[in-house]
This record gives sequence, C-alpha cells and structure tokens, in this order.
Amino acid sequence: MALLANPSCESEPLLGNSAMLHFVEVLIIALMLSSTYILIAVGFTLFFGAIDIIQFAHGDVAMLGSFVGMILYALGHITGIALVLPAWLFVIGVMLGTLVITGGLGVLFERTVIKPFRDSPMLMILVATIALGIIIRESVRLFYPEGSNPQVFPRLFPQAGFQLNGLYFRVGHILIFGISLLLILTMMIFINRTKTGLAIRAISQNIEAASLMGINPDLAILVTFFTGSVLAGIAGILIGSYFSVVKFDIGLMGGIKGFSAAVVGGLGNFNGAILGGLTLGMVETFASAYIPGGAPYKDVYAFIIVVFFLVFRPAGLLGEKAYQKV
Amino acid sequence: MKRLTKRFSAPEEEREHVKDRLGSILFLFLIETAFFGLILLFLVVEGIIPVFSVILGTILLSYLIKRFESVNDFLQSLFNCHKRVAILWGMIFLLALPILLHKSPYLIHILFLAGLYAALAIGLDFQVGSTHLVNFATAADYGIGAYTAALLSVKFGWSFWVVLPLGGVAAALFGFLLGLPTMKTKTYYLSLVTIAVGLVIYLLLNNFAWTGGPNGVSGIPFPRIGSFSFGSSLLIFGIELPFQANFYYLILILVIIEFVVAQRLYHSKIGLAWNAIRDDEIAAECQGIDVTGSKIMAFYTNAFFDGLAGAVYAFNVSFISPENFTFMLSVIVVTMVIVGGMGNTAGVIFGAIIMTLIPEKLQVLQTYRLWVFGLIILLMLLVRPKGLFPQKIRQYT
Repeated sequence: MALLANPSCESEPLLGNSAMLHFVEVLIIALMLSSTYILIAVGFTLFFGAIDIIQFAHGDVAMLGSFVGMILYALGHITGIALVLPAWLFVIGVMLGTLVITGGLGVLFERTVIKPFRDSPMLMILVATIALGIIIRESVRLFYPEGSNPQVFPRLFPQAGFQLNGLYFRVGHILIFGISLLLILTMMIFINRTKTGLAIRAISQNIEAASLMGINPDLAILVTFFTGSVLAGIAGILIGSYFSVVKFDIGLMGGIKGFSAAVVGGLGNFNGAILGGLTLGMVETFASAYIPGGAPYKDVYAFIIVVFFLVFRPAGLLGEKAYQKV
Repeated sequence: MKRLTKRFSAPEEEREHVKDRLGSILFLFLIETAFFGLILLFLVVEGIIPVFSVILGTILLSYLIKRFESVNDFLQSLFNCHKRVAILWGMIFLLALPILLHKSPYLIHILFLAGLYAALAIGLDFQVGSTHLVNFATAADYGIGAYTAALLSVKFGWSFWVVLPLGGVAAALFGFLLGLPTMKTKTYYLSLVTIAVGLVIYLLLNNFAWTGGPNGVSGIPFPRIGSFSFGSSLLIFGIELPFQANFYYLILILVIIEFVVAQRLYHSKIGLAWNAIRDDEIAAECQGIDVTGSKIMAFYTNAFFDGLAGAVYAFNVSFISPENFTFMLSVIVVTMVIVGGMGNTAGVIFGAIIMTLIPEKLQVLQTYRLWVFGLIILLMLLVRPKGLFPQKIRQYT
C-alpha cells in the first residue's frame, strides 16, 4: 500500500521511457501482491478440492503466520539465539518455525471446527469458519501485547537496494518474490508429482472411491490442511515484511481476496488459483495506478471483477462447468 | 327421563367447561407473566455471575420442559387454545416495558436495537431461511436504506414519514439489481458475490464525496408527528418516559407489521414456492414454480425490510457513517437467523433479541465481548444446528 502511493504514479507523463519505467514498476508491485494472493488462494482451492468446504478463517491463519513470525523473532532475541546464529540462518529458522506452527494450527482448526460440520449444509460450515475467524482475530487483539494497534514487523530481509536501468530494486523484495515463486513451484510439484499429492487429488475427485483405493481420507485431509496453512503462514510473513506493518484484522480482507482469487481461477483447481491470484493482483494494482483518482477504489475494481466472473463465468478461468444432476 | 336429565345437566357441564376455561386462561396468564418476569430479570441483572446464572437457569428450564413431553404438550395446547388472550397479554407487556424500565434509558435503547436486529433478521429469513439463498449483503441493503433516508432528509428537508418508505424502496431496488445477475450462482459462489457486493457498497460509501465519505451524514433531525418530536420525552400515566421509548414503540410497530407480513407470506403461495425451491430446486421448477422470479422476490423483499430498518436506525442515532454498515453486521444478522431457527419467523425474532441482549449483558466482559460472541456461535452450531426454534413441518388440515 505504501508503495502504491509512489509519487511517480501521478505527475510524470505516460510517454516514452518514463512511461515504460512506470509500467515496470507497477508490474513489479502487481507481481508482489499477486504472489501473496496466490499463496492464500491455493489454500482455499486445496480445501475446497479435498472436502468441498470453504475455510473462511484461512485469511486469519495467514495473519497468525505473521504474528507467529513476530513472536518467534522476539523470542530469538530474548533468549539470545539470534546473536549466536548468523543472521541468515536465524531468519530461515524463524520462517521454518512459523511454517510448522501455522500448519499445526491449521490442522487443529480443521479437527476442532471443520470436522464436526463435515456433513452439515454449506451455510453451517461457512458461518462456523466465520466464527472461527472472529475468535482468531479477537484472540490476537486481546492476548498479543497491544494487539489492537498496528504492529511493526521485524526486518527479516536486508533493506539494501540497487539501481538498475533507472529502476530501484530492494533486495528484500526480490527475496520475498523469489520465496513465493519457489513455494508455488514446490507446491505444484508436490500436488502433481508426488504420491501424497496424488492422494490429495484423488480425494478431491471422489472421497469414497479414493478410500477404496487404500487412501486414508482423514490423513489426506490432514495433509491438505497442513500444506494449505503452511502456505498461508508464509503469506503472512511475506505480507509482514513487504508492508512492514501488520494488524490483527488484516486476515479478513486477505481471506476474502484469497477466496476471490480461488473462485476467479476456478475453485478446486490448483493452476486456477495461480491464475486467479495474478488476475486479482494485476487488476487491483494497474487500476489504481492508471485510472486517475483510482487508488482509493482499488478494492472496488477487484471485487467488480470477481462479481463479473461469478456472473458470467461461474466456473472460473480453469474450472470445469458443473452440471446439476437429478 | 334420561334425555331430560341430560338436557338439564348440559348447562352445568358448560359452566364447568367455562370454569375450566377461566382456570386455564388464568394459568396461561401466570405462565406468561412468569416468562415476562424472567425477561425483565434478565434485562435488569448486572454482573457476570447473575447474568450467567439467569442464562443457565433459562437453558435448564427449557430443557426440563422439552424433556417432559406431557408438560411440553400441555403448554402448547394451552397456548393454542387461547392464542388471542396470550397474544393480547404479550402485547400489553411489550407496550408496558418502557414504563417498567423508564429509569434506565440505556435498557430501552438496547431493546430498540434488539427490535432493529429483529427487523433485519425477519428480512434475511426470507432468503436464508425460506429459500436457502445465502446473503452476506445485509449491511449493504441496510446502509442504502439508511443513507437514502438520511441524505433526503438532511439535503432536502423531507419528513421522516416520506423518506422511510423511500429508504425501503431504494434498498429493494438494490436488492433487485443484486438478485438479477446472481441467480446463476449458488452456495459458496453466491455467498462470495454477496460478500463482494457488500464490500463494494461499503467502500463506495467510504469514498464518495456526496455521502460524506468516512465522516458520514450527521445532523439527521428527529422524526415528528405533528408538533411532537421523537427527541422529546413521552408522558404516559404521569410517568415521563425517556425519548428512547419513542423509537422503541416505532420499531415495535415495524417489527409487528413485518411479522404479520412474514406470516402472510409464509402461508401464501409465495412462501410455499420459496420452501419448495429450498427443498429441491429442480422439482420446484418442474411443478411450474417460477424459480428465478421467486428467488429475486426473496432478494428484494429482504432488501426492502432491511432498508426500512436502516432508515429508522439513521433517524435514531442522527449520525451515520460507513462504519455502521460493515461486513461484520451482515455476519451477525446471519447468525441471528441461524440461532433463532431458519424459516421460523417467531424463532428468528427471538434469536435476534437474545443475540443482541447477551452481548450487551456481557458488557461486563467489555473487551472479550466479540470473542465470547464467536464462541457462542460455534457452540450453538454444534449443539443445535437447526437453531433454537426450527421451522415446523407444514401441515395441511
């Protein structure tokens, strides 16, 4: 958000080299935003694919990711581990710890809140997970020290930058983008190439048939929730280090955006989530950069795109059209 | 001879019957009064332990009544036999409530809020309860009603009684426009459309200059009837009621009208069509029900009711801003419908009232309020997924 208020967005004429530069700058911002959306959207799509539910509190799991990261960072400094280890190793440790803890929390939420409702009507699960989201948000607000105020996220990545062809790059941002890309690729390989991924895809097609083939559906669901929540946790850390400020309620909007991205791409389709996240991030960033006076309306553009997709292409970009059987 | 005695004994039997009736009416009075006493007690008590003990006592009592079927049946038949008396006594209690509570304007205001939420919940029930169309855009309907009424009144000086229906109509128009394209979507997709549209309306209210942006609209005048302003206190039987009582009576009338309309709709072809669509859309279509038309109708009926409630709210607080119409409000109204019992108007009203009163009573917990609220929703969904008073199966006799 801070980057969107870049002064170059307004005054410079959109011609020649400077227009090109501006375009590249906006593109970089859009890619950053898209990658966080993708990381959250993948969770939505995985859960929906596995057991046909929407985990509405998934955005709040991402928010938990950034807070867990902050807590681990602070713990590292209190116990002195941060001083003993080299900086890069400490950052990796913090990130890995966050991954495991957020993944565990995601599994915990699945077991306690979602499992009892697995056979209930969809409205019940939706409201139950919305209630879960309220509880998570409020817990952070109440139990994190001064939780209702915005928290300054620790600088995990180097702040240095360099100039290239008139463009200013930050090492930290490049690292963030690289990590997102790496994770998304890893996930793709995990889903498409490994045996566990095969199990996840199998239960998403038909949970009964999959269990007849020797897949333990409970275990597969567990793995799904773990991986989805891990990605959300990483998204939380990336959002934190990108905007450098986090607040207890960022998860609500983040969750809705992730859900939207998953739907735009086609719920249940892994590649669709990537495409949907890209679409949403691009629309939001480019609309706010190129439409005069458009910055305050950036979420409006994103949601109008979502509504447009839902009305004219409800199956999403890559989703299969669902036919109702009698 | 036998016949004669029988004829002679008949009036006596009748008298016996009348006596029995009088007795049962008296008993009904007592039970209802006890129930009202419980409500009053709940309203008046303060502190965590008393509030929780009242809540737990009520749960225990209702459990016991449910447990012993004979008691349950007896109470139900009693109520069914003397419906009019029961309703009359209930109305008198509702009308007298501000007089009983005239020393605490705060409680009357809370009751007003409960009525407001009840009005919203009755509207939403047409969609969520009767037709199973998820709608998370309640706040948008409500906000459009409130903003229409407030802006017309502040900018053009129109009277409350003119802008109240206009607020409803504006919201209904929005509901119609929202319903039209979303008919293709279902379940999660429908919920996302309504969430997205609700957020768009919120963001637009926040960013447009003519709605006052984040500052909202202020200086909305109190409604007037003749020379009587709703801002002045009402005098009944020599007791000065705080001005909140005026709004309490206003919302009471609105809720009663909405309740009657909802009941009429439920027993009409439209209500039946909605229920048929909920149970099986394709079967309903095969029976010649206009599925799209009925669904859109559910949308704009809901929006109309929400818009009316919004207009009343705007004139009560005299200052509205986009923060009054957030996504959380829509979620709260949906939970009220679910807690009360989807498809049962009386249950939904009850759900709205307790879901308003309990958090207010938990003021003691202050900061933990929303947290407890979330827990209550989760527990309710686990323990009673169909709500406190689920819709009864339709009976045709």
